[in-house]
Amino acid sequence: MRTEPPNLLIVDDSTAIRKILLRVLSQTGLQLGRVLEAGDGQEALKQMEGNDISLILSDINMPNMDGLELLRALRGSPDWRDVPVVMITTEGGQARVEEAVQLGATSYVRKPFNADLLRDKLASLLTK
Amino acid sequence: MTTDIALKGIPISTEEMANMLFAATQEVFTSMLGSELRQLPEPPAEQSGSFDGVLSLVGLAGSLIGNGSLACTAEAACEMSSRLLMTEFKNVDDEVLDALGEIANMVVGGFKNLLEPTVGRLQISIPSVIYGKNIATRDAKAGVALGVCCGFAGGEFAVKVRLAPARE
Repeated sequence: MRTEPPNLLIVDDSTAIRKILLRVLSQTGLQLGRVLEAGDGQEALKQMEGNDISLILSDINMPNMDGLELLRALRGSPDWRDVPVVMITTEGGQARVEEAVQLGATSYVRKPFNADLLRDKLASLLTK
Repeated sequence: MTTDIALKGIPISTEEMANMLFAATQEVFTSMLGSELRQLPEPPAEQSGSFDGVLSLVGLAGSLIGNGSLACTAEAACEMSSRLLMTEFKNVDDEVLDALGEIANMVVGGFKNLLEPTVGRLQISIPSVIYGKNIATRDAKAGVALGVCCGFAGGEFAVKVRLAPARE
């Protein structure tokens, strides 16, 4: 059973969204470990190395490596295949949601989001 | 209402698309900026021709091609960013430009999600943001351009979409 506070990774090319997600996470009232940030999928994979990440929040539309490619890479890795990934994206079309779920997304949140609902969802995932 | 684009076999009018654009913009402002939005009858005076301020652009591609944009003054951009990030901004800096790109991304993304059931799958680009003086835009003759002017507690702005059927 995990005793240390969980480390998280936020992946989004927008610093504004990363800042908002940091605020939402701080409002969960949970004790968190380090919250790392990445601007795209490639940076995210680098951040995964050597860091025990418990939850990833990722955008889909990003330069270099998008969120679905990141998800594919994570699910193909023996070390990271079970790390929960919440997709937070403007992509609300059913086809994109199904694609993300088939690739192994744990949850899907469409932007714009209600900060209270997102906070509750993240708190629920982090206390599982 | 029949429009050029409907005549080209796309079953939606510019009026319906303008309603979708306003609905998508309203959702962003209500959810993320905590601000009510009202639709204005005329474009903000400074945006009827060239203007000084911020222009955020997001490309659209798929069954239709084009882009969506959000245009506003530097003051309105700072107000929007302050509300989005809950930090006061007095001047346009990198954080404000990033915030304006993200607001345009959510507006155009929301519009795309509303439009897709009618026209088929669309994709959006990452946003580009321009900040400067005497910004003027010109719409291509092919396709349609539609805009909605909006007001919120911190100022006024215009959102616009330009679309044309994709070539076979």
